[in-house]
Amino acid sequence: MPATSPLPIAASGSFLILPNVGLMVWVLVIFVICWLLLRRYVFPVIGATLDRRAQSIASEIDAAERLRSEADQVLAEYRERLAEARSQADEIITRARQAGDAHQKEAVEAARAERERLLEQTRRDVEAETRRAIDEIRREVGNLTVLATEKVTRKVLTADDQRRLVEEALSEIDFSVLGGGEG
Amino acid sequence: MSAVTASSPPAPGGSRERADDRGRTGMSRGRKIGLSLFAFWVAGLAFFIAVFGFKSHKAPAVASGVFTPTNEFKLDTWFSVGPVNFNKGVLYVVLAAVITLWILFYTARRLKQRPGRLQAAIEMFYVLTSGMARENLDENLSRRYFPLIATLFVFILVSNLIGYIPLPVDSLDKFTLFGARLPSFQIYAADTNVAFPLILALMVFILFSWERLKAHHGPVGFLKSLMPAGISGPIKPMIFGIEVLSYLLRLVSLTVRLWANLLAGHMLIAFMGGELGVLVGDPWVQWLLFPAGIAIYLFEAVLIAGLQAFIFAVLTAIYLGDAVTSH
Repeated sequence: MPATSPLPIAASGSFLILPNVGLMVWVLVIFVICWLLLRRYVFPVIGATLDRRAQSIASEIDAAERLRSEADQVLAEYRERLAEARSQADEIITRARQAGDAHQKEAVEAARAERERLLEQTRRDVEAETRRAIDEIRREVGNLTVLATEKVTRKVLTADDQRRLVEEALSEIDFSVLGGGEG
Repeated sequence: MSAVTASSPPAPGGSRERADDRGRTGMSRGRKIGLSLFAFWVAGLAFFIAVFGFKSHKAPAVASGVFTPTNEFKLDTWFSVGPVNFNKGVLYVVLAAVITLWILFYTARRLKQRPGRLQAAIEMFYVLTSGMARENLDENLSRRYFPLIATLFVFILVSNLIGYIPLPVDSLDKFTLFGARLPSFQIYAADTNVAFPLILALMVFILFSWERLKAHHGPVGFLKSLMPAGISGPIKPMIFGIEVLSYLLRLVSLTVRLWANLLAGHMLIAFMGGELGVLVGDPWVQWLLFPAGIAIYLFEAVLIAGLQAFIFAVLTAIYLGDAVTSH
């Protein structure tokens, strides 16, 4: 229909609802060409790429899981060793503490024995010194007694007199005080 | 559109500059732009009413009935090679095929393990359509018909989308540029002609009927398979008639859904974008409806184009699946 002819809407609308057969053929041919080309050359390539990516992701996930399980294993081993080391350390500390205690006990015992020995030695020295002092005093007392008696009696005493006088004088003196209550 | 922009909430954590700007004027930038556009629209309306008034100024072609809005959908034969005619419908089909093939071949040749944006979009389309096939068909049929379903989706989608790009294809209404008579620019889609969806629907109808025929071992099994299970008694013939009708109407519904959506969408865009004003002869009507034209254009291009392609592809998968599973 020429473009310049009058075209009332109602009369001209038939081409809107009537299919154009030529266009139908064009659409069918072009669509089928597209379909075949895409089916042959495009979709398989895209599908393969997506499959490859999916496989790569899956293998990466597998690798990650494997690494994780290995890491878990290593961690478990590490924890086990750590626990072992800790128990060994505890044992060492306990043993050291015991050894220290024993050593300390021995040292205390040795110190106590040494003290006892020193005390005994001191006691013996004191006794010997006391005994020596008492003998000295005894000798001095005897001499003084002889001298005093000679002056009182104005005579020289014999050896027997002197001995008797000294023994009498000494028997009257209590030397137990000088011996610390022991003599 | 301006209302949407104006009512959109300010972005959280916006810049201090924006906050200061709002503090000074008490209005966000979006709201200001929206109000400015609205004021421009109202001023334009007032201008056209003031200049032309409410009196109709029909163009001579409109007044004489030469111009009709449906003419833009008429397929004017540009040239013929033997019995083969070439018109704008054919041009759009060829364009759709070239663009579809170019994008897919281009992407397929440059597939990478780490996809770019185009490859990601193509992969998304592949996953979507292969999912359609897998969910509705068994493994064997899915492998056989996935390429058809995917091609239908992408071919219809591209056909729909190029239908929203203005191209100089309206050979019935020419304009002069530097002395040359050129076809007017228009937005046209091949699927606004019923031939486009009809032939695709017919092809799909024949394929799923063939599959049903094979799956049910001949015409008797085919007819029996249309009958729902558990029906007995005198109601059986009536149900059978309804089922046969419903089966045949699949062809009509597949065709009309795509065709009517695209045709109505393009007509609405044309009417709201100024054609109604031309028909009634009032410039202010053109100005009044222009925002609606933009809104419908966006709605059609963003939503309807993809949705109709998706529906056609998914219904193909469903009908093919139904052909082999129904009893």
